[in-house]
Amino acid sequence: MKRSLIGRVWPNVVAVILFIGLVFPVYWMIATAFKPTGDIISEDPVWIPFDVTFEHFKTAVDADHFGRMVINSITVTVLAVVFALVIGLLSAFALARMRFKGRRGFIIGFMLAQMAPWEVMVIAIYMIVRDADMLNSLVPLTLFYMVMILPFTLLTLRGFVAAVPKELEESAMVDGCTRMQAFRRVILPLLAPGLMSTSLFGFITAWNEFPIALLLNKDGEAKTLPAWLPSFQTVYGDDWGATMAASTIFAIPILLLFVFLQRRAVAGLTDGAVKG
Amino acid sequence: MTVQTERPPSGPTDVAKSDGGNSQGPRRPRARAGALAPYLLLLPAVAATVVFLGWPLVNNGILSFQNLNMRQVILHLTEWNGFDNYKEVLSSEDFWRVTGRSIAFTAINVVLIMVLGTLIGLLLARLGSKMRVLLLFGLVLAWAMPVVASTTVYQWLFAQRYGVVNWVLAKAGWSSMADYDWMGGQYSTFFVIITLIVWQSIPFVAINLYAATTTIPKELYEAASLDGANAWKQFTSVTLPFMRPFLYATTFLEVIWVFKAFVQVYTINQGGPDRLTEILPVYAYIEGAGNQHYGMGSAIAMLTIVILLLLTAYHLRIVLKQEEDEL
Amino acid sequence: MKRKLIAAIGVAGMLVSVAACGGDDKDGKKSGADGFKGETLTLWAMDGSTPDAWTKDVKAAFEKKTGAKLKLEVQQWNGIQQKLTAALSEENPPDVFEIGNTQTPAYAKTGGLADLSDLKESIGADWTESINKSSVVDGKQYAAPWFVLNRVVIYNKKIWADAGIKELPKTRDDFYAALKKIGQKTDAEPIYLPGQNWYHFVGLAIGEGAELVKKDGDKYVSNLDDPKVAKAVETYKKFQALSEAPKNKDEATPQQAEVFAKGKTGAFIGMSWEAATAVKASKGGKIEKDIGYFTIPGATAAKPEGVFLGGSNLAVAATSPKQELAKEFLKIALSDKFEGQLAKEGGVIPNKTALEANLKGNAAAEAMAPAAAGGGTTPLIPEWGAVENEPNPIKNYLTAVMNGESPADAAKKVEGEFNKRLAQKQ
Repeated sequence: MKRSLIGRVWPNVVAVILFIGLVFPVYWMIATAFKPTGDIISEDPVWIPFDVTFEHFKTAVDADHFGRMVINSITVTVLAVVFALVIGLLSAFALARMRFKGRRGFIIGFMLAQMAPWEVMVIAIYMIVRDADMLNSLVPLTLFYMVMILPFTLLTLRGFVAAVPKELEESAMVDGCTRMQAFRRVILPLLAPGLMSTSLFGFITAWNEFPIALLLNKDGEAKTLPAWLPSFQTVYGDDWGATMAASTIFAIPILLLFVFLQRRAVAGLTDGAVKG
Repeated sequence: MTVQTERPPSGPTDVAKSDGGNSQGPRRPRARAGALAPYLLLLPAVAATVVFLGWPLVNNGILSFQNLNMRQVILHLTEWNGFDNYKEVLSSEDFWRVTGRSIAFTAINVVLIMVLGTLIGLLLARLGSKMRVLLLFGLVLAWAMPVVASTTVYQWLFAQRYGVVNWVLAKAGWSSMADYDWMGGQYSTFFVIITLIVWQSIPFVAINLYAATTTIPKELYEAASLDGANAWKQFTSVTLPFMRPFLYATTFLEVIWVFKAFVQVYTINQGGPDRLTEILPVYAYIEGAGNQHYGMGSAIAMLTIVILLLLTAYHLRIVLKQEEDEL
Repeated sequence: MKRKLIAAIGVAGMLVSVAACGGDDKDGKKSGADGFKGETLTLWAMDGSTPDAWTKDVKAAFEKKTGAKLKLEVQQWNGIQQKLTAALSEENPPDVFEIGNTQTPAYAKTGGLADLSDLKESIGADWTESINKSSVVDGKQYAAPWFVLNRVVIYNKKIWADAGIKELPKTRDDFYAALKKIGQKTDAEPIYLPGQNWYHFVGLAIGEGAELVKKDGDKYVSNLDDPKVAKAVETYKKFQALSEAPKNKDEATPQQAEVFAKGKTGAFIGMSWEAATAVKASKGGKIEKDIGYFTIPGATAAKPEGVFLGGSNLAVAATSPKQELAKEFLKIALSDKFEGQLAKEGGVIPNKTALEANLKGNAAAEAMAPAAAGGGTTPLIPEWGAVENEPNPIKNYLTAVMNGESPADAAKKVEGEFNKRLAQKQ
């Protein structure tokens, strides 16, 4: 009896401890953002910001070109994700459902592409874009981000496509649908969760990318948000309050996306990961 | 690949009963008309990858044979220097030390991530629904935190003077930790970096593993318990085999992600102290961009790619073999 | 050899093209008001260099005189070198940009900076020699000196009074004794001095008459094993021991002024404008009335401590198509009127001795000025540029000594990295 009670209690205790450990850094970021500067650098940590200030958020939002950067970041990220999903889905379908020569080669190829160390190729990318006279444009960023997330998207979606019973598709075709129609009416709805969870990954990757963005888009109007985050660590010292406020704002879209996609996303990546 | 008819969109694939669904032989006569179809479907993805990944890669290769510094970049000069960059890198003790360190770093992180992630995933399956939602919420928050933001927070948590960690350790009676300098030593810096990376990566593994466990047919456990298997036996005979492909694939992804963890390592302590926590991408960055010695940086980048390929070769071979059996 | 030849050809090509640009502009006869109408000049200034009123007034004057617009883009120090290198290689570089004095020689050698020798002739006759030195490479003027700054002691008057200190220290020993006294009589930290405030260390080395590098044949190598350097680092260590600040961080993490703002720190060694940061960080700005400044005391009362003259120059991108307009801007920004205003508003030492009167009444600037005469910089050689890139070997040297290694051992430890950077191919 006693043993089973412990058996029932410990998972909950562990879960609570884990929860605290997982959430604390996030909490600390948000709490710091609301503290007056005097409470941020403090011999004894101020655990809960009773003395709330919005000053840091104001500093963060008042940064030059902030509005422009938000728009740029959203544009680049959303477009990259959408393109990657569309292009990726086409390939995923081919790789999951069709037999053809070289199929294995393509799969290995995309797996290799997934390993590309983008961070260390920045200068090569920069020189290409510079010589093509495309600096300070959102187009190269969008395209590079798209390719950055394409392999994962494609390989993951392949798993989802493979998981859709062929019989469904076939019966739709027996009912007189063309293959395209069968795809649109039968497979696509079933793929919705897969598309969502995959887009989440792509969104996080593109939203966070900065080594390339910093070098390609230096012009104020062309900058994206990752250029904004470190801008509060200045010659006057690191404005931790504003940095944390900016980080909080920066995290919001991803958090919202998570909440929005939650159920569907959580069940998500498994299939693709297995296939990937 | 096997199809899981009972739970179409999210069930794991390629599982224990792998032979069952494999319908060999020609399936769709109609497809003959569209023999080109798969290639057409693949064309956009392949073209995009070749142009926007292949081209920079080739360009990077070209740059690695050049003496390319501030001056050459500014004046658009091309100064070939043959294999000089490679010779210098390969003959430097630093490079090999960094390579060894990168491999060890990746191994430690991936093992921790996979073990802890799996345990948490199993814990999720065991919890009551309220606690499960709570823990899932925590995982999702940690996962959703942007890398740049979380790295900054960790720096701040482990700060020597006003860091929360030192304060807590000191209050907990470990007074020598009151002013402990985490960034002062190689191992303590690595400790912080590893904590950060493991914290960031666990949610992906845990949540997906949990999702995968929910798809294990209950009958398998029933059968196992009828055979008198205890919890551990059930785990090794049912859960583990069911999870194996998932674990392989996730490990592969984690190896790639950890190996390339430039942002975390560089931001926490710039590869310091004394360059003792540099891993390959950081080394490539510091020697290349940081020192404005871009040709050298490109050469290190090429070597980094080769090493990553070697590390993942085993997995790629498995995939090759596996794909052979399919369709 | 071949590499050098190619490089030489490159430089020659550069000179030709610069000359061609200048020629074009003259042909256009674009001078006087409205001659540049519709054009926009891009200026990159570093974070913190351009006070608001100064910026506004210079903009207005520039637009009035030339008819062109001025676009100011404020840059962060972090990663600025890579960014600048990239920008200078582009078709539309920033026309005018601020560049750190210690970085100037390295960039002068790249061919990215336009030759401003004629500007020196027209407006630079009375530029202070020691400040202008960093802009001159091989007898050519590659940038225009803008301002310099050096560090002072910023102290908390209340804490010093509480400790019963009546007179400000005149010598290094007095200073140390005063800090000791604060440690004994109050619960304040006597001084906040992190282990890697390396510009202060450079100042101490200058005070000892030490050189950080020496010539070995035709190349430069580390001179950190010089006993004079060891003496400087020992002084640093002695004062650092009075501080609880991290030994492996510089003065920006955490920002020392924000620590000082708590009111529990006796003093710190910093730039004059850091006082403003402290005021901003303290609750209700209440630290303001307690802030005082004095010159860092030297070994004897006769001569203040050696200081590092951190400064900035303004350079013109060689590839900028707006050479004439850029020079027009420099003539305005560096005119006595605006240079004086910059000194007054920003509390920085201007590029002409005659304009130093503008510092009167600015307590911080007055504390700065006495040491400036004996100040210096890091070695003004193109090879130096690479040394300052993170991880900076000098910072590691400092941390090693602070952690108890002997200066000789520490020097040996970083020598490899230091020499490697000095020898880096250009």
